[in-house]
Amino acid sequence: MSNTIIAIIIGFLVAPLVGGLISGLDRIITARLQGRIGPPVWQAFYDVIKLMSKESMVVNVWQAFCAYAYVSAAAIAVVLFFLKSDLLLILFIQAVGAVFLVVGALSSTSPYSQVGAHRELLQILAYEPLIILVIAGIYLETGSFKISAIYDWNQPLIFKLPFLFVALGYALTIKLRKSPFDLSTSHHGHQELVKGVLTDYSGPYLALIEIGHWYDVVLLLGFCSLFWATGAVGMLALLALTYFAEILIDNVTARMTWRWMLGYVWAMGFTLCSVNLIWVILG
Amino acid sequence: MKKMLGKIIASTRMKSPWILHFDCGSCNGCDIEVLACLTPVYDIERFGMVNVGNPMHADILLVTGTVNHRNKKVLTNLYDQMPAPKVVIAIGACGLSGGIFRDAYNVVGGVDRVIPVDVYVPGCPAKPEAIIDGAVLALKKFEVLRQQKLAV
Amino acid sequence: MAEIIFLLIVVPFIAALGCLLFRIQFIRASIIIICAGLLMGGSLFLIPMIPFAYSPGSFFGVNIHEILQGADFLLLLIIFYFGIKHKNLVIQALSIFQAVMLGYLEFFLSDGGGHDVVFYCDHLSLILVLIICIIGSIICLQAIPYMKNHEAHLKIAVSRQPGFFFVMLLFLGGMNGVVLANDMKFLYFFFEVTTLCSFLLIGHDKTERATRNAVRALWMNSIGGAAFVSGLVYLYVKLGMLDMQNIIHTTPQAGIIVLPMALLCFASFTKSAQFPFQSWLLGAMVAPTPVSALLHSSTMVKVGVYLVLRIAPAIQGMFLSQCITVFGAFTFLAGAALAVGQSNGKKVLAYSTISNLGLIFACAGVNTSEAITAAIILIIFHAVSKALLFLCVGTIEQHIESRNIEDMRGLYTRMPLTALITVMGVITMIMPPFGLLLGKWMAMEAAARSFFGIIMIAMGSALTVMYWARWAGILMSDPFAGKFKLERQPVLTWFALISLSLGAASLSVVSPWIYKLGIIPAMGKDYLSSYALDFGILENSFGVFAVLPLSLVAVFGFLIAVLAVKGATRSRIVMPYLSGVQTSEPRVFRGPMNQNVIAEAGNYYLSSIFGETRLTAWINIGAVILLTLVIGGAL
Ligand code: SF4
Repeated sequence: MSNTIIAIIIGFLVAPLVGGLISGLDRIITARLQGRIGPPVWQAFYDVIKLMSKESMVVNVWQAFCAYAYVSAAAIAVVLFFLKSDLLLILFIQAVGAVFLVVGALSSTSPYSQVGAHRELLQILAYEPLIILVIAGIYLETGSFKISAIYDWNQPLIFKLPFLFVALGYALTIKLRKSPFDLSTSHHGHQELVKGVLTDYSGPYLALIEIGHWYDVVLLLGFCSLFWATGAVGMLALLALTYFAEILIDNVTARMTWRWMLGYVWAMGFTLCSVNLIWVILG
Repeated sequence: MKKMLGKIIASTRMKSPWILHFDCGSCNGCDIEVLACLTPVYDIERFGMVNVGNPMHADILLVTGTVNHRNKKVLTNLYDQMPAPKVVIAIGACGLSGGIFRDAYNVVGGVDRVIPVDVYVPGCPAKPEAIIDGAVLALKKFEVLRQQKLAV
Repeated sequence: MAEIIFLLIVVPFIAALGCLLFRIQFIRASIIIICAGLLMGGSLFLIPMIPFAYSPGSFFGVNIHEILQGADFLLLLIIFYFGIKHKNLVIQALSIFQAVMLGYLEFFLSDGGGHDVVFYCDHLSLILVLIICIIGSIICLQAIPYMKNHEAHLKIAVSRQPGFFFVMLLFLGGMNGVVLANDMKFLYFFFEVTTLCSFLLIGHDKTERATRNAVRALWMNSIGGAAFVSGLVYLYVKLGMLDMQNIIHTTPQAGIIVLPMALLCFASFTKSAQFPFQSWLLGAMVAPTPVSALLHSSTMVKVGVYLVLRIAPAIQGMFLSQCITVFGAFTFLAGAALAVGQSNGKKVLAYSTISNLGLIFACAGVNTSEAITAAIILIIFHAVSKALLFLCVGTIEQHIESRNIEDMRGLYTRMPLTALITVMGVITMIMPPFGLLLGKWMAMEAAARSFFGIIMIAMGSALTVMYWARWAGILMSDPFAGKFKLERQPVLTWFALISLSLGAASLSVVSPWIYKLGIIPAMGKDYLSSYALDFGILENSFGVFAVLPLSLVAVFGFLIAVLAVKGATRSRIVMPYLSGVQTSEPRVFRGPMNQNVIAEAGNYYLSSIFGETRLTAWINIGAVILLTLVIGGAL
């Protein structure tokens, strides 16, 4: 019981802090890669607290609903992850958040929001099947969808599921809003769609979405951590390497179109997944 | 408790000013200087400043160039769409008074003819250092606004 | 028992006749309301009685098997008549073929029948009876105001409602017959009754398009009927009986049973409008919306999956079963892909129905305890949510005179409650902790071992999210400050919409107990129950879904979000961002020469990828290949 409570607290409170810190580090590393110094590590928290304190302003009151729904779904997904629940269930709950984000953006009539929302949907379309297949692959290897059982598996999954890890990398890039897949909105100042799906969220609601994004970051890194669950050092090294690779990709690629994204991610992703799944099924 | 919260908010506001840059009719000289602030040489992100494209996310409205009859409505629209607290910086001789264009038939004049301006950054064009300096001054304005709100 | 069977099957027939004879609106409405009440009550009375078997010897003194024979041939005659009337050779040929096969079965093979148990009701039948009687009745009630509006709108002088409700109620009786019958000859009869009802209702508006689509539905379903009756003859020749329970549970050699089972599956695929037979269901969307809700989403198309679920224990472990998995998963994916390309609301619903039925077939094909559970859960919750959504679209359509999703932009400001209920319906379709997602979760976990199955289900699932989310989104798409006036609707419409939406939500919360009390017994001895249930958490050896805790969290989150909305009504309402050139009209900006320009932003329908014209041919080819695999594998 106490374990459960600790897990809930970690998932609920510590995870977003870690997520915020990661995004601060992300910005510093990005700046260094560009020959700049970059903001302080805590910048993400400054931003969110500032946004919280701003005037509450909406286009449509349902945006408030959607922002809260997004952050709650993201938080619940992370809490369930720390409770070592069912992977597929966690993915679905995470998807609830993603859908509410889109619905909130669609509730504004601004073309920037609308187009951004549709691009976000296309991104979901691109990454969700890949994550489902990754989870299926993990199940085929370990015989369980439960994280508790997967963490108990006696060897790192990455040796058996390397291609699935790469496929997860695609999903990660999309989900972290990194180039070349930062179509719907990006972390950089502005883009051709202004701020895409986030255009008409402002002030406190934007802050909530940012917090929701921190939860998402933690959740996705959690997914990655399943691939090296036998030791803390290995796991951290894998996560650090993966995240650094994401930043590097972000900095060396340009934003592409959704057509390219869908075609490329599905073609590459499904090929990788299929090869690895067949390998596991036959092996 | 409330005081502490106020302090935290005040300090985060100083550390995370997001800027909306609006080219109101500039000759592009000032714009280039504004963008220069983003480059590695000046790197305003050090101060947490981000150049956002959307008034709804912005704290500081940075206006370059003169206001004319065509775009004054745009300027007020953008200003209205910013959530409070917000400050406005007018950049360059044009932004201040209309500059060399002030006698043109279509020109209204400086930015402060249309919306309240908090900081004036002179120059033709204004230097990046001056712009950054102006932005830092604008940050002080946030504290002033907060005190005013507390006093009410 | 006799009374309850009488109540469920014959009373609707009598009420139907009543509707036909009394041509006064008030009396007709009373008959429908009374009949609906009787059916709902009757279905609830059934709960303590199951399982039971019942074989009536005679009906008002006439041997029931003789009645059946007479009715069977009469039905085929009627279908043949329509074949002639609409000059459709396929229908003529198929009805003659069926009559010949049936005659051969009745007069040459069998000795007048009477050895097999006629009606058998277990938990699976019960679940379907409950769906038919409760949801069906609600839809019929909603149809009363709907049809009144419908005829007023079409300016029809002589009301055709008596005929309409005659068929609707007849259909309810027929549906109950299908799920209660155990003697396959009876099953076949009721199966054909639903086909005929569907034909009549699709053609109800008597426009040229309606007639054409109705004829198409009839000939496609006749193929299914022909496959069905062929399966029966084959079974009888080999086994000498047509008792469903007996056939399934005595499981003779697989070699004998596989071909008739494949034929029955084929019949199911036509009935459930699986590819390549989807076009009849799409055409059926011309019918008045209650028809689509009743026949073409929540009940009649479920006959197909019901049949396959019935015979699933007998085909466990067969190649046929695996083929059904792949075929179902393919339909799930293809249906979802086509739904993405649609902007017509009813067509989206139709494709989504096909797609979900495909998923249910896939589950039946996987044929493990988890998969069958998933299938039954999907049947229940799909019936509720889809009926709700159809009724919503019908209501919206009568108001805005369009069923195009694009025209529903910002519907919230015009029809707040209806729009909210529609969004609610969409949410129950795609989000946890609601029942459909529970079913989908089970389906994925069960199908994870099927390589092709899981890949197609994964893709289909993402496409499903796409077409639902954008629909829910644009219903809300308008600047909005939180004050609205409720729209006016007839009481029965509100009753139907509200009861179905509350039903969808509350049934989801109790789904673990539905599983325990309904689905475990429905799977009976054929499958070991898989999920353990405590504190409302379903858990088995490899997965866990905390239904009740998640529902509580969801309710809590919902309340917070509602409070947030209340809070937001106090905030400043601004116009959406339009590069600073916005005007006081939400979509309008000030363009060149100070002219107002409307900023258009349409949904992505990706018609270059998911367009109907582009995809349908390929999908049909794929489906035919898979179907050949299903049948060919059986030979
Ligand atoms: S101040 Fe000078 S550089 Fe700046 S916009 Fe005006 S003319 Fe151009």
